[in-house]
Amino acid sequence: MAAHRTVISMSDDVMVEIQRDHLLNLILKGEREDGRAFDEFREISIKTGAIATADGSAHVKLGKTELVVGVKIQPGEPFPDTPDKGVLITNAELIPLASPEFEAGPPREKAIEIARVVDRGIRESKSVDLEKLCITAGEKVWIMFVDIHMLNNEGNILDAASMGAIAALLTAKLPMSQYGMGEDIPLPIRDIPVAVTVVEFGGALLLDPSRTEAAIASTSLIVITNSDGSISGMQKSGSESLTFEQVLQAVDMAKAAADTIREKFLDV
Amino acid sequence: MGKRIVIPGDILSNDIKMSGSGTYVADGAVRAALYGLMNKGDRYISVIPLAGKYIPQPSDRVIGVVTEVAYSNWIIDINAPYDGLLHISQYPRRIEIEQMSSYLKVGDCILTMVRDVDAGMKVELTLRDKDRELRRLSEGRVIAINPTKMPRVIGRSGSMIRLLKSAIGCNMFVGQNGRIWIHGNDDRVDLAIQTVRYIETNAHTPGLTDRVQAFLNAKKKARFGKTYENENEEEW
Amino acid sequence: MSEKPEHFIIDGKRLDGRSVDELRPIKIEVGTLGRADGSCYLEWGNNKVLAAVYGPRELHPRHRQNMTRSVVQFRYNMASFSVDERIRPGPSRRSIEISKVSREAFEPVVFTKFYPKTAIDVFVEVLQAGAGTRTAGINAASLALADAGIPMRGLVSACAVGKVDGELVIDLMKEEDNYGDADVPVAMTADGQITLLQMDGHLTIDEFHEALKLAKTGCDRMYELQRQALIEKYGKESMIDTEDDGGAPDGDIDE
Repeated sequence: MAAHRTVISMSDDVMVEIQRDHLLNLILKGEREDGRAFDEFREISIKTGAIATADGSAHVKLGKTELVVGVKIQPGEPFPDTPDKGVLITNAELIPLASPEFEAGPPREKAIEIARVVDRGIRESKSVDLEKLCITAGEKVWIMFVDIHMLNNEGNILDAASMGAIAALLTAKLPMSQYGMGEDIPLPIRDIPVAVTVVEFGGALLLDPSRTEAAIASTSLIVITNSDGSISGMQKSGSESLTFEQVLQAVDMAKAAADTIREKFLDV
Repeated sequence: MGKRIVIPGDILSNDIKMSGSGTYVADGAVRAALYGLMNKGDRYISVIPLAGKYIPQPSDRVIGVVTEVAYSNWIIDINAPYDGLLHISQYPRRIEIEQMSSYLKVGDCILTMVRDVDAGMKVELTLRDKDRELRRLSEGRVIAINPTKMPRVIGRSGSMIRLLKSAIGCNMFVGQNGRIWIHGNDDRVDLAIQTVRYIETNAHTPGLTDRVQAFLNAKKKARFGKTYENENEEEW
Repeated sequence: MSEKPEHFIIDGKRLDGRSVDELRPIKIEVGTLGRADGSCYLEWGNNKVLAAVYGPRELHPRHRQNMTRSVVQFRYNMASFSVDERIRPGPSRRSIEISKVSREAFEPVVFTKFYPKTAIDVFVEVLQAGAGTRTAGINAASLALADAGIPMRGLVSACAVGKVDGELVIDLMKEEDNYGDADVPVAMTADGQITLLQMDGHLTIDEFHEALKLAKTGCDRMYELQRQALIEKYGKESMIDTEDDGGAPDGDIDE
């Protein structure tokens, strides 16, 4: 946020700032501005197959936060150190259409962090069986581009991006026919990692921060958990520290939320 | 009383003397410059916008937030594309430059008035007025709505705002710039905010006053039960 | 990419069954993005585009400010997954050019003089491309500008005309765009003032005259749909009413 703050949208930031005490008071009373419980998500909607030009796609709405994830898959050269494995490349575009605080230009810190954390979850969970994406060892493998395209930022981009990425991959097809290699086949997916952001705010831990909550909370912990309850990625983000207990509690909260999201929205 | 939706370019009249706000004249006709509602008066046709930014005009009363204390001026965010300037001489009492931050500091909210706007959109503000209404807002909460919806929160000759203040029992001020200051106990401020949001969402629907009244009755029953009425009397 | 078809028009029908002066199916929704001051989602054939408008807002850096008017900025961008072969995110020479001509399609109609020193930012995102993304973007941007309450002389409507099998056709689909003999994207106001015109390919002067006329037919049809979309945004919610208004705004917007 801070990097964007100086340029535009003073009024927005000003409004967030003057809500700080009020939000903090609410939290102390155990309440949130939109009446949700601390561990309650906004309404989630995931629509897959939204983009016909993509090999897999998902249109995610998390409350009013909205984004599209598109997966493109094409043959290319493997990395020299993994000659027999497919390649996963994740990118996030916080385009200026999505919010007054976003600017055009190459991805900045925040967009890069989002892309890398989402990437880590998929990669570390070994969700996509990269070995099955080898066409000719050392020469040709499938390269998957996961592009996260922000449409409307009302907070908690990361969780929405994570849901979108895995939903798009789950429905993606290897475009075999396009390259004269036979029928299109589904991507080999083995696990469904889900990232959940837990923000620390006034000593309390909250899930699915709204835009104002996210702007005011200085610190969050992102926890990526898998179907068997294992963790495949974590990231502390923000300028404050978290206590030992907070971290443990955050992991529990994230896992419980991830289980629900997986069961309700990513069950294919 | 319904009003017609017009879109930019629509011909509203062939009498060019009727051209009012939100319209322009071209090829001998008055045309809509905005997407909005046609308002046909006796002398002018205007277009009431459905969206848009607040653009400051002299004598507007607005709610601002101090964003910077500069040499002899406070820089004030007034929810417009332009910053407002509050010169040290426009503070209600004489103060020294070194003391500026102790009177108004970054983050403070003020109820202020636009004194002058020049051609280069330099916006000068003041805190000086006869009634002493302009001031720092040291208590209460400030929310923002779309400035074009602001007339609905005020209502005809202030009818809506009077209804809100008396039915909810809190103090409110609606700035021309779409910012609203609400002061009272927490529950009432919450209810006031919900009601303002309700008005904002339903701004262009018929019988708004009646619907707001019904909304308030339902909310009051649900939230406060019987105790609310008593509590109300004590404070008022 | 598909092969070049042998014929584009068979028995007066094009590859997708349209006649030569028929537009592809269009779906428009105004006010779809909450954060933007104005927005529009538009589907046109296989195109899916979003437009958002922010402003008038403070323009940075300062030296770009104009002391007497607002500066219109236009950014056309394609999502990397919007086409068959993934494209690198960020601006390309093509998108920079489209952004420029699209901006110039709106500069004639936006009343910029009311907002000195500010920017009016228009962002167009192509989520799915299926021939004619710039015209789709302009049509969506036009509605997003109106939705943001930006004063304008009128809406801008856009449509392309092309030539296949020696015949002029309106609103090119992908195969016609890729293998046709000409492509003429046009944007205009409802009273026929042209605000964007590009052409590539080969046309005789007579053909070009005819093409412009056809473009007008397409733009007129588009204008009707744009108009309908704006009316519907409030029409859906219920009858418009302003009985309680605290007072109409004053001050003229005369030229």
